[in-house]
Amino acid sequence: MNEPEQMEAGFENFDERVQIIDKLMDEYSDAILHLVYTYVKNETTAEDLTQEIFIKCFEKLHQFNERSTLKTWLYRIASNHCKDYLKSWHYRKITLNDKIFDYIPSMSKTEDEIIAKDEEDILAKAVMELPLKYREVVFLHYYEELTLKEISKITAMNPNTLKTRLKRAKEILRHKMTKEAE
Amino acid sequence: MGDPFTNLKSALKKTVFKDISFSEERKTAVRNSLQESPSSTQLHSWKEETLKTILESLKQEAKDGYEISSLLFQKNDSSFRNKEGELYTLLHLLENKSIIAARWYDEKKYYSLTGKGKKILAVTRREKSPQQTSLKQLILEASI
Repeated sequence: MNEPEQMEAGFENFDERVQIIDKLMDEYSDAILHLVYTYVKNETTAEDLTQEIFIKCFEKLHQFNERSTLKTWLYRIASNHCKDYLKSWHYRKITLNDKIFDYIPSMSKTEDEIIAKDEEDILAKAVMELPLKYREVVFLHYYEELTLKEISKITAMNPNTLKTRLKRAKEILRHKMTKEAE
Repeated sequence: MGDPFTNLKSALKKTVFKDISFSEERKTAVRNSLQESPSSTQLHSWKEETLKTILESLKQEAKDGYEISSLLFQKNDSSFRNKEGELYTLLHLLENKSIIAARWYDEKKYYSLTGKGKKILAVTRREKSPQQTSLKQLILEASI
């Protein structure tokens, strides 16, 4: 007679999982969307991927163990999902198309360059142009204000490697900014 | 030399992320797919033939899980080989969708077709057109 009871518990669990995802969306959906955007740099794609990330979390919620916080666990799923996307055939195909478009001179590009004068614009733009491995750690550390230990849990990378990357990112940025100023 | 990233947070907030927010529509889309995911995906993971064998077998008389399992084995259906427990998941799913009903008798749970289950089975048997409506489809439609 045990079986029906177990099933009951399973369905309670379903509602509980829905509630958890609801809460996570309320608290972190903008942060996750921004994280995803730093990876993919396209608003619609970022929204699609964020949607998929919350669905993925829902499906994996039973695998969550208390060794990390729900937040770092969510960030980790998000980061992996973005990396998978960037590796995908679909993404490679569309970026190739974009690259072809880049060779076609357009009006909007020059307009962008004119607007990007303000200091904050320059900083934001420079960070978004960093290679992914630096952009990732810079975003998580300075925007999300996470510690290197937390970032290491999210990215599955050694804190020392992350430290080196941050240092290197600073060098690249200083170099860029002095060039801008000239 | 100061840290070049000190103002990054406010800089990104005012520029790149200024209009980027996860909308209420997007949240609703997530919620909707969560509600759809359990039943529909589970049903899709079983073969049409398996569903048919199970439902057909319950048409004449109620059977318990072990009898259904033996019947599938006789018919060389290997869907539940080495994962016999999943048969009960499927039966429970069909029960939730009111395709079958279960009753406890003599410490065993017996399954039988409901009126809805009989109807669905009858429809699939009647249709002989090339684009036969699948049982899965009918079950999903009936439970909306």
